[in-house]
Amino acid sequence: MSKILVIDDEKPTLSMFKLFLGAYGYEVLTAESGEAGLEVFVREHPPIVLTDIKMPGMDGLHVLKRIKEIDPFAEVIVITGHGDMDIAITALNLNATDFINKPIQRGDLDAALRRAEERLQLLRDKEEEVASRDLGYAVVIDVKGNITSRSEPFLIAEYEKAAASGGSIVMRFDDNSSINGAGIAVLIQLFSESEKQGQAVAIAGLSENFRKVFDMVGITRFAAIYDTEEEALTALGA
Amino acid sequence: MKRFRNISLKNKIYFSILAVIMLISVAIALLARGILLESLTSELEHRGVGIAQSIADRGSGFVLDNDHPSLTALIFDASLLGERRNLVSYIFISGPNDEILAHTFVRPFPQNLSRSNPLPPNGEGVPSVRQVKVDGEPALDIAVPMLEGIYRVATVHVGLNKRHIDTLVGRLRIMFLGFIALVCTIIFWISHRISGYITLPVTKLIEMSDEISKGNLNFKLDLGSQYEDLLSDQGKFERCPAYHNSDLPCWHVDKTMGPVSPDSPPPAKPPYCRECVIRHRQIGDEVLQLADSFVYMVRSIRLYRNRLRESEAKYRWLFDAGPDPIFVLEAGTLKILDVNPRGEEVYGYPTRELLRMNFSELEAQDGMGSLANFAKRAKPGERVLYPKAIHRRSDGQPLFVNMHACGTRYGDREAIVVSATDITDIVEKDAQLVQASKMATLGEMSAGIAHELNQPLNAIRMGSDYLGMMVESGREIPGAHLRQVTSEIGAQIDRATEIVNTLRQFGRKSAITLERVDINDPVRAILKIISQQLKLQNITLDLDLASELPPVMAHGNRLQQVFFNLVSNARDAINMWSDEEGDPRDRVIAIRTFTESGRVIMTVSDSGTGIDKSLVDKIFEPFYTTKETGQGMGLGLAISYGIVKDYDGEIAVDSKVGAGTTFRLSFPPAP
Repeated sequence: MSKILVIDDEKPTLSMFKLFLGAYGYEVLTAESGEAGLEVFVREHPPIVLTDIKMPGMDGLHVLKRIKEIDPFAEVIVITGHGDMDIAITALNLNATDFINKPIQRGDLDAALRRAEERLQLLRDKEEEVASRDLGYAVVIDVKGNITSRSEPFLIAEYEKAAASGGSIVMRFDDNSSINGAGIAVLIQLFSESEKQGQAVAIAGLSENFRKVFDMVGITRFAAIYDTEEEALTALGA
Repeated sequence: MKRFRNISLKNKIYFSILAVIMLISVAIALLARGILLESLTSELEHRGVGIAQSIADRGSGFVLDNDHPSLTALIFDASLLGERRNLVSYIFISGPNDEILAHTFVRPFPQNLSRSNPLPPNGEGVPSVRQVKVDGEPALDIAVPMLEGIYRVATVHVGLNKRHIDTLVGRLRIMFLGFIALVCTIIFWISHRISGYITLPVTKLIEMSDEISKGNLNFKLDLGSQYEDLLSDQGKFERCPAYHNSDLPCWHVDKTMGPVSPDSPPPAKPPYCRECVIRHRQIGDEVLQLADSFVYMVRSIRLYRNRLRESEAKYRWLFDAGPDPIFVLEAGTLKILDVNPRGEEVYGYPTRELLRMNFSELEAQDGMGSLANFAKRAKPGERVLYPKAIHRRSDGQPLFVNMHACGTRYGDREAIVVSATDITDIVEKDAQLVQASKMATLGEMSAGIAHELNQPLNAIRMGSDYLGMMVESGREIPGAHLRQVTSEIGAQIDRATEIVNTLRQFGRKSAITLERVDINDPVRAILKIISQQLKLQNITLDLDLASELPPVMAHGNRLQQVFFNLVSNARDAINMWSDEEGDPRDRVIAIRTFTESGRVIMTVSDSGTGIDKSLVDKIFEPFYTTKETGQGMGLGLAISYGIVKDYDGEIAVDSKVGAGTTFRLSFPPAP
């Protein structure tokens, strides 16, 4: 039974989390402040951490930063107030796994937890994060796990390979994938190159949260987002 | 003497002259009577003596010769000579032994007559006069001795007719009395004329003063014909321009030549005033001088009356044309004694009706106590302001007025003058502004409120999701968990409801009337909304609220607005400091409530940046803000200031750059 740490200054929220995640089968650790949360993290070393952003004392971003310093592979899901997209992006830049809005929807929580689990699995399996498949009429780039500055060279290499084929490009994000600020910058750079060369690009299978972020930073101007690879291919007229 | 007091001056003079003349007349009459009658009687006696003497001289020879017929002829001749006939009633000559030698009686010689007036034996040459009666008729018997050498040969008796003498005396008396009566009559008439002449001008002056008393000051000075010349002469001497022109001020009356402002030097006397012709010229007799002073007095009265009329007209005009309703109230009862036309327009009652009303009937609520108290003790000239008093129009609409009351006298009554400036529009605009700023504050608060509401919503959502998930997956929910979830959901719904209620209360428009508010309540209410935000921003709240504070008269939600404004300013000041300096110090907001010298005090202190001394005075100005453009309107403190002032409160700032700021509000406790 895997451990999960929840950090929130709201006692009622904590108790609900305890029931909820308990029902999922996690061993739930709770902390009422950032400082207490870090202590628990150091002691128990849970693979997944859920932390509220707005807390008195040490806030969620600080906690995220510290946890990533201690263990870069820890999956940290941040809880933001509804509509706090700026904070969400900041959190992603700090390599947060995902963000969920308060009030927390069960679906969002499910998705976030699943993604975290898959990424942990990925880490355990040491799978390649970026791979491409040439379908002849189009190239599909599969993205798994976390797109960060670390995975940047692989992404660029795969993308250039796809671009060289001259066909349309579909970038398919796995359910567990997430992307940070650096990754977003690379994507924008690549997509704008493609647009210059008149190459059609589409994105498939991205979680709702990331769609919002892509929309905000303007990636959707270069590439439309579709739910599945098939839809994307159809849309590209392949 | 009392009975003489009411006699007119004319009659006094008249009777005085009369009495004096009468006294003199009586004296003269008495004197004259004594002297005249005495001299007449003695004259007649002398005549009798003369007659007797002449008979004695001429008749001695006849006596010696005993020639009685010649002697008788002699005495008859003597008695009948001329007018003696009436005077001499008889003559007889008696011998040494009282024998009758001759007599003029045509009847027998009356007995005893010869001895009725005997000569003394040794009385040489001295006549004896004695009153006798002859046959019942009174007579004056004069006996003169007839001498021959040194011997008396006989005695001559001449009887003067006493009746004749009395007739003569009576005639003289009547003549004299007639004369005196004539003189008296003439004096009567003359004194009447004199007294009339003297008192006529006085009478005229009396008539004139009666005219003045009746209010007629326009009459011609007429003292009768005797002063005509003098009065017309007097007119020629007048050089004073103010004498006939009552618009001109008079130096002697007004001590000035015109309106002088308090700081200008006193005006110089004009040359013609140096010696006032009106004051110093004393011509004519006392009556004329009196008339002169009288005219001068009338002129002064006329001048003052005109001036009074002008003043009355001027102030009446001010009263009538005043843009605000002005009431004159009886001090004791607040009964309306007078009101200007604006009162009718503003209050909607006809003036006639207003004059029957009591001022307290115009009051919307029982705020008259203080005015009535003021009215009772107000001294003339003492004034007081009642800001934003609420009155009612005749149609029941509320009316906000700034009420100035001033003690005065009205006729013989203690009164107060109340001027009521209609500020309803201003108050309404004010209320709109306050409401608008409240809405702006609500907007400013929205982020915090959203966060605040999100917390319970989140817990509720998770609770219900948990239940949903358990039901969907067909798992059994442990009883303890179910209880925990349902009670948590209930508690969180209560929490959300409380926040919503606080917001609703904050947003609602304030009622017109003030309510009794414990200022701790609005403090707690705003803390409900803002304390979580402060906590999230790591700002410590140091709360020290006094228990059992006296209530103040205010609107709870407006006070909330003020306190919210102060607390959020404090928060911003702390954040500004931290932004600049990187959190070098404690982040504390201290809120205290307490009482001090009878007033209710609330202080909000922060450990923020502080305000520069030069800016402290500016912070209450509208649209002044230290925040970045778009962060605030700069209306918060200006509106807070207005609100606090509305509740008779004071707001003070104590600030030092780098040492934080303390706002101190103080309110009078509710009566």
